[in-house]
Amino acid sequence: MSDLSDHKPDSQRPMLKVSNLTHRVSLETDTLTILQGVSLEINRGESVAIVGRSGSGKTTLLGLLAGLDTPSDGTVELDGAVISQLSEDERAKLRSRRVGFVFQSFQLLPALTALENVMLPLELGGFDSPKAKARELLERVGLGERLYHTPRQLSGGEQQRVAIARAFASEPAILFADEPTGNLDNRTGADVSDLLMALNREQGTTLVMVTHDERLAARCGRHFNIEAGILTEPSAAAQPEAVN
Amino acid sequence: MAASKKLMSVKRDWRERDVRVVLSALIIAVATVATIALFASQLQRTLVSSASSFLAADRQLEAENGRPIPESWMQEAEQRGLGTARMVEFSTMVYGAGNFQLVSVKAVNDHYPLRGEVEYQQGTDEPRQTVAHGPAPGEVWLNPRLLRLLELGIGDSLEVGNHELTISGLLVREPDGGFRMSSLAPRVMMHVDDVAATDVIQEGSRVEYVYLFAGEEAALNDYYRWLQPQLEPSHEWEGVRDGETFSRSLDRAERFLLLGGSLAVMLAAVAVAVASRQYALSQRDTVALLKTLGVSSQGIGRLYLRRLALWGIVGAIGGLVVALPLYWLLSSVLGDVLGRQIDYQFDPNALAPALLTALVSLFAFAYPPIRRLRNVPAMRVLRSQPGESGREAIPDLVIAVVAIFGLVWLYAREVSLVLSLLGGLALLLGTLALLGWLMVTTLRRISGGGNAWRLALVGLYRHRRASLSQIAVFAMTLMLAATLILVRTSLLDDWQAQLPEDTPNHFLINIAPQAVDEVDEFWAERGHPLEQLYPMVRGRLTELNGQPVKEAVTKEERVGALNRELNLTWMEELPDDNGIVAGEWFSEGQTDGVSIESELAGKLGVEVGDELGFTIGSEKVTETVTSIRTVQWDSMKPNFYMAFPPGGGLENMPATWITAFYLPADMKGQLNDFSRRFPTVSVLEIDHVIERIQEIVQQVTQAIEAILALILAAALVVMAAVVSATMQDRQREGALLRTLGGRQSLLVRSTMLEFALLGFFAGVLGVAAAEGAVWALQFRMFEGEFRWHWQAILPIPLISALVLALFGRWQLKPVLSVSPMLLLRRLE
Repeated sequence: MSDLSDHKPDSQRPMLKVSNLTHRVSLETDTLTILQGVSLEINRGESVAIVGRSGSGKTTLLGLLAGLDTPSDGTVELDGAVISQLSEDERAKLRSRRVGFVFQSFQLLPALTALENVMLPLELGGFDSPKAKARELLERVGLGERLYHTPRQLSGGEQQRVAIARAFASEPAILFADEPTGNLDNRTGADVSDLLMALNREQGTTLVMVTHDERLAARCGRHFNIEAGILTEPSAAAQPEAVN
Repeated sequence: MAASKKLMSVKRDWRERDVRVVLSALIIAVATVATIALFASQLQRTLVSSASSFLAADRQLEAENGRPIPESWMQEAEQRGLGTARMVEFSTMVYGAGNFQLVSVKAVNDHYPLRGEVEYQQGTDEPRQTVAHGPAPGEVWLNPRLLRLLELGIGDSLEVGNHELTISGLLVREPDGGFRMSSLAPRVMMHVDDVAATDVIQEGSRVEYVYLFAGEEAALNDYYRWLQPQLEPSHEWEGVRDGETFSRSLDRAERFLLLGGSLAVMLAAVAVAVASRQYALSQRDTVALLKTLGVSSQGIGRLYLRRLALWGIVGAIGGLVVALPLYWLLSSVLGDVLGRQIDYQFDPNALAPALLTALVSLFAFAYPPIRRLRNVPAMRVLRSQPGESGREAIPDLVIAVVAIFGLVWLYAREVSLVLSLLGGLALLLGTLALLGWLMVTTLRRISGGGNAWRLALVGLYRHRRASLSQIAVFAMTLMLAATLILVRTSLLDDWQAQLPEDTPNHFLINIAPQAVDEVDEFWAERGHPLEQLYPMVRGRLTELNGQPVKEAVTKEERVGALNRELNLTWMEELPDDNGIVAGEWFSEGQTDGVSIESELAGKLGVEVGDELGFTIGSEKVTETVTSIRTVQWDSMKPNFYMAFPPGGGLENMPATWITAFYLPADMKGQLNDFSRRFPTVSVLEIDHVIERIQEIVQQVTQAIEAILALILAAALVVMAAVVSATMQDRQREGALLRTLGGRQSLLVRSTMLEFALLGFFAGVLGVAAAEGAVWALQFRMFEGEFRWHWQAILPIPLISALVLALFGRWQLKPVLSVSPMLLLRRLE
């Protein structure tokens, strides 16, 4: 296996290529199919929303796309690497260099300050001067005054901004967002999504977001619907104009 | 500080409850084990040296044949680097100021004593001094009572044989005094160089030459190996381990300390296991996030391994920091009690078990659940994953049980201890399984409602898995603590029974048969009635089944009792503290037969029906063994190897009588009146010996109580660990109940009831298991009699119910004081 962190991205190749992805889980009595025959291609710099109701399989799909889990069938090719052929540790290595995450429940480490939470992926990825970079990003998301606060001392919106700063810190090639505004009120949610879109544009990151919020989905370049594990892409005419 | 380093910092870890519990448990385990080990080795050293001072040396060689040993034997000892001293003991009449008195002389050289100190006064009103030498040549020290009897003073002359010596001091206490029956008359101590001038020692005089040796244990043993083949039967080599009066008590104290240490280890292990499992559960989200951020499973493994190692270091250092002052404190109290300097020999070997405990606790109890953190799926960041099935924990349990018992065995080296505890635990788990089944079948039928009792029972049923494991841990904790309390109580009772306040502290020896009644009357009038009076005839055991005894017994089995005259007696009734182990005690009117002490019988291979031949003066007496009996040698009463029936073979022999009685310290003046009225009766004063033993026992008791306190602290940590393990769930439930309109008082009552029930069940189980373990321990280790401990059995379940109810109330506090909304958010 080649060293993935040195893998040269090929600008011609799609950032994410999924073919015939199926995922099943075994229950005590029978097997449940969560995803069935999902195929899609996402190009570099694109922003994509996957919209579906609770239980439609969208979170499972996100996990598989990001390499947090491996599918029962089918392949996921992330930046040229076939995820299902990688070991857990190789996938971890791939994530540390190429992938960023924003979660619905923020997932900040409660014992670390805002600054330290942002520094963490930089240190783990072996980046230079993590502290300066983390400070710069926190200033960018408007939390320059709250560097030394712990998550408990921050509001939900502020915590999500720290999480966004952390996600962009390692300049990932692709960012996965799971209901990033799901735990926030409308107004704060709108602020957070503005920030997410803006940073995404500035860094030219590929964005894959799952949400049930149609308005948030409308801000992405393309969107897919998912229902009962089957992914559909509305016709090009039905695609929203990317809202800037 | 870098964020990833901060993730590893102990300071940060300390903020987490579960880590605090793990670290506290580790610190307590290390501290307890280290304190016990250090103190036990100190106690051992102190007591051996204290026992050594009963000999004034580490070893003594006595020549009872009236001849000095060859000079070359002493030279050999000195060449081997041993310290030596010599003394001569004999009885003679002394004369001073017109009075004669029979005295027992001890003449010592400049090196006496090699161990311990001589206590003397320069005048009756002068302060007592302790010195490491005897009187100078030309001087003599007298027992204070003797000085009064002879009506002499300091500076006066005393004639010993043909030599006149100057009285320069009063001998208060000699380090090797008090226990030898041969030193019956009041003591006079002089220098050995003056002995020749007295002309007292003639051919055939009854003289004992005693040689003292001190040095390294190994050198002493080597020397003895060299010496042994040359010894004659009249030579007696004595070490501190033989003939110690209180060795049995100390042996038990040591065992108790070991038991305490083992229980501390077990408790700490339980706390470490519970808390680290809880810690591992709480770390799953962090691990999932770190994996999402790109940390590999090995990376996770390394991270937590390093953290464990760090905890180990903190636990070990913290434990030692607690242990050292505690050890110092215990030892200095010991020093105060013994009235002498303790030499703090820091024994690094004593720390090894403590560090091993830390290591094993961490790696056998804390590591397995933490190791499994590597397997937490990254997907957990998106969605909670099914938890552990519990089946994965089974190998952990096996490792834990093996490690616990390995550790206890390694520490106490007592298979019976390990088995007793294992048996107690098995009993406990078996009963617990039964209780679990009962709980499931009976509580299922109870439906919820607004009643606190119902809510509590429903709560127990709903949390049955957690409840059962909590009961298991509480019961185990209570079992271990109760075991220790029960053993301590019976140990102390035992000691108290052995040496009560009015233990006889004076012996009267050499009472002529016609003076027996008068002596009895004398003390009865003064309010100090005598214990039983026994006739005493001196004789040697010479034949066994018609064969000379020295041929019948091989040299290795040769026993001290054969080398000297034995005190033989006759008695009608078996003394209370003796017990028949074979044969039957003399029936009324029986005049033949002899009863032999069981240990001597064992060494000689004598059984009921064997024939023993005694030489008494020029007479021979032969009797058949009719019973074998145990004797309490440390009872401080007259004890005899051989007892004959009244009217038997001894009655016609020249006998004197012996008795023991208790005389309070402030009544000692009465001894002078007694000695004046009965000048031929010897008074043996052993009051200071008894005082000393009582002091040591008291000291050891204090040490045991300190250890007990440490163990109970460990028990509380375990309880805290277990309660805090379910704290969050229960708080969330409480907050929800309040949100849904539950009244505070109902919540409080039902929670307290639920915990009280838990505590009560655990208490009943724990005490039952403890009784089982104590029964086994008492039987195997402490040779005591098993008694049910009703007083202890009743309160423990009630106390544990109360304590747990309060624990439950305490953990509800945040639920009651904060708005449910805030609490639910905080617990999110």
